Amino acid sequence: MLGFVIIVAFEFLGIGLHHLGVPLPSSVLGLLLFTLALVLGLVRLEWVERAATLLIRHMTLLFIPLMAGLTTMTSELRRNGVALLASLVASLLAVLLTTGGLAHLLLRDDEIAEIAEISVE
Amino acid sequence: MIHSSLHPLAQPALYILITLVVYALSLRLHNRYSWLHPLLSASIVLVFLLRTLHISYASYNRGGAVLIYLLGPATVALGVPMFKQGIKLKRALPRLSLVVLAGSIVGMATAGCVARLCGASHQMVMSALPKSVTTPIAVEVSRSLHGDPAVTAAMVLLTGLLGSVLGPALLRLARVHHDHAVGAAIGASSHAIGTASLFRYSEVQGSVSSLAMAMAGIITSALAMLLTLYWRVRGAGGL
Repeated sequence: MLGFVIIVAFEFLGIGLHHLGVPLPSSVLGLLLFTLALVLGLVRLEWVERAATLLIRHMTLLFIPLMAGLTTMTSELRRNGVALLASLVASLLAVLLTTGGLAHLLLRDDEIAEIAEISVE
Repeated sequence: MIHSSLHPLAQPALYILITLVVYALSLRLHNRYSWLHPLLSASIVLVFLLRTLHISYASYNRGGAVLIYLLGPATVALGVPMFKQGIKLKRALPRLSLVVLAGSIVGMATAGCVARLCGASHQMVMSALPKSVTTPIAVEVSRSLHGDPAVTAAMVLLTGLLGSVLGPALLRLARVHHDHAVGAAIGASSHAIGTASLFRYSEVQGSVSSLAMAMAGIITSALAMLLTLYWRVRGAGGL
């Protein structure tokens, strides 16, 4: 439970900072502060790991009510449907191929380092 | 109807319970039919249930909102895979951020340009820009760009769904096989929905994907912030 308390506290901190005028989304601020706290050792990994893993593993569950909500806004979507769908598909392909291709070129040689690290563990 | 005779406090609990049962069933289905994305089957079954039981979305959402709220903490929780993978991939971290930065810029530019070329209104173009990042971030970015957060949420969901169903196959076609590259591409393009489906096959792909989606969220909101600052400096309200 401590894990959830810490995570929600950081979310709250993010909301507070956003309201004070920091122009980044509150969830991004919460995420940045939380990561920083982990890096600085203010929050220990074992305190939050189980709660965080649970939340992330089952994120799909949290999207279900939003998906069901799409049925209430069909007319708005239909008006701009073609443009939005085209934009969605084009941009999805562009991101997938840019990121995948670049990562393929740049990240390959780290496999060896990671395997070595795992065997040390 | 059963649900309307229930005590008002029991209704959200009932709707959360229904959602949980539908989710558990959809995971079972996904184990048997791996092509059937659990988010898709769960949403179809849920909408069907709500329709046949004559439950309006507004009353369902008294329970649904609790689950939607948890997306906020879930986004903050991404700090854990960021931290863990950050240590593991220390050497590659600058390169990975470069890759995600390039992906995010290309993604926003393509989304905006294609929407504009297809005749979408300015507000719709703005709503399309943050569609590759996770919902809580995308909705806030959309609001800051004066887009329509509901349209953005719809695009985010459809992008995530499409990306997690087609993404891995497309990457295989493009001969991108390495776990880190697949994780980075799915995380940057299909955020939490793609990441969750990667975790079911590979721990490494899922972890890199969560790192990439967190990076994409941060980068996209920073880019949106720069965009609004630029407009403010130019004194113009639009493109």
